[in-house]
Amino acid sequence: MGEARAARLLCSLERAACLAAAALLARLPAMLGYRMACWRGDWLSRHQTANGAELARNLRLVLGNELSPATAQQVMRDWFRLTCCEWVDVRRLRHGGRPLRRLVEVRGRGHLEAALAGGKGAILCSAHFGSYLSGFSVLHTSGFPVTTIGRWWYNYDAGISSAERRIWDLHHRPLRRHRQRPNIEPWPGRPQVAALAAAALRANEVVTICIDAPPLESDRARAVEVPFLGRQARLLPGAVVLAQLTGAPLLTCFMYRAADYRHQVLEISAPVAVDGETAATFERFASEMSAAIQRRPAHWNFWGKTGDLVNLGLIPRQPDTSPAACATRGPIADSSRRGS
Amino acid sequence: METVINDYISRELVHDPALLPLADGTPLLETGIMDSLSLLRLVVFLEERFGVTMGDTDLLPENFSSVNAICAYLRARQPGKQATAHG
Repeated sequence: MGEARAARLLCSLERAACLAAAALLARLPAMLGYRMACWRGDWLSRHQTANGAELARNLRLVLGNELSPATAQQVMRDWFRLTCCEWVDVRRLRHGGRPLRRLVEVRGRGHLEAALAGGKGAILCSAHFGSYLSGFSVLHTSGFPVTTIGRWWYNYDAGISSAERRIWDLHHRPLRRHRQRPNIEPWPGRPQVAALAAAALRANEVVTICIDAPPLESDRARAVEVPFLGRQARLLPGAVVLAQLTGAPLLTCFMYRAADYRHQVLEISAPVAVDGETAATFERFASEMSAAIQRRPAHWNFWGKTGDLVNLGLIPRQPDTSPAACATRGPIADSSRRGS
Repeated sequence: METVINDYISRELVHDPALLPLADGTPLLETGIMDSLSLLRLVVFLEERFGVTMGDTDLLPENFSSVNAICAYLRARQPGKQATAHG
């Protein structure tokens, strides 16, 4: 028992050190800060062998032979680099988000403006892809009233200590600050989620939602099986239903990082037709998300989250996916890229 | 009002025939009849049918826990009107 507590304490301290380092890097000139974040990522990928093995296994289980061994190695290295860069992104949201905003090119801004001109709000559909939470904050600081449907995982994860919860809460504070309303958090016993989102849309705001979130146990019955990453995944078509019920236009949104790791592109699509049958429409969306992930696999946050991949139905249940394994897997595995 | 709302929920939101006929006191959340999106459907219906506008603060689970609770909530929202006139 004492050993487990000590291991958890060590884990918390390591995470606190990582986040403190990110805060320091965010104060440096961007070129240097992100370069150092990449070095940090490389160091983590070499030393967190358990995380690396888990990533490699998940990549192999989901994508199979789609990636050559060399490409898989590159994806793993980039995954760690992107994780460290994303922490820096969050810390660059200070001063009204200007330090991050000047590194992000928003493409398709006109699509979002045109969608909002209709007066029914807009739904931005994304995935747990790249620095998506910081991307939503960049949009908000650019003048779009953004509210996110998503869970702040650290508020609910029983596997972390209260000290660690506090650390993550502090880390996420800049993200929370750049939202129009508090996150609309879907959890069992909160049936008002869609209605709250509809209220934001009625106020002509932007509601963001990641469609690749694993369904909660209570929502499994509503999940639909769709082709995703070459397999069948269980996903919730709520974004499409919300668009159909409210009349709000649905757009897709991806944030991806350039080869220099410091510049990013936030790409917003034109509105997508949602007037067809829900399942078929959602399948089209899922296919678009899937293609985006396959184009840039290192950007997908879930490679390090075996439990989420299991819940999505992408890989079979593994015996060692309990949160208690956190302390032995290091600071990246359980929480780094789980925004909401 | 009870009849109108019960009919709508029975027709549009209940997917398990074993739950029909639906009693006005049947818990809608615990039985799984009401999830997030079906609550939104119901809110849209109630706003159109009874001419009310529901804000964030009205969207409490207890206001939608049963047909009786929904009617009680609507009546409380419309103290000057006889809701039966609509339904």
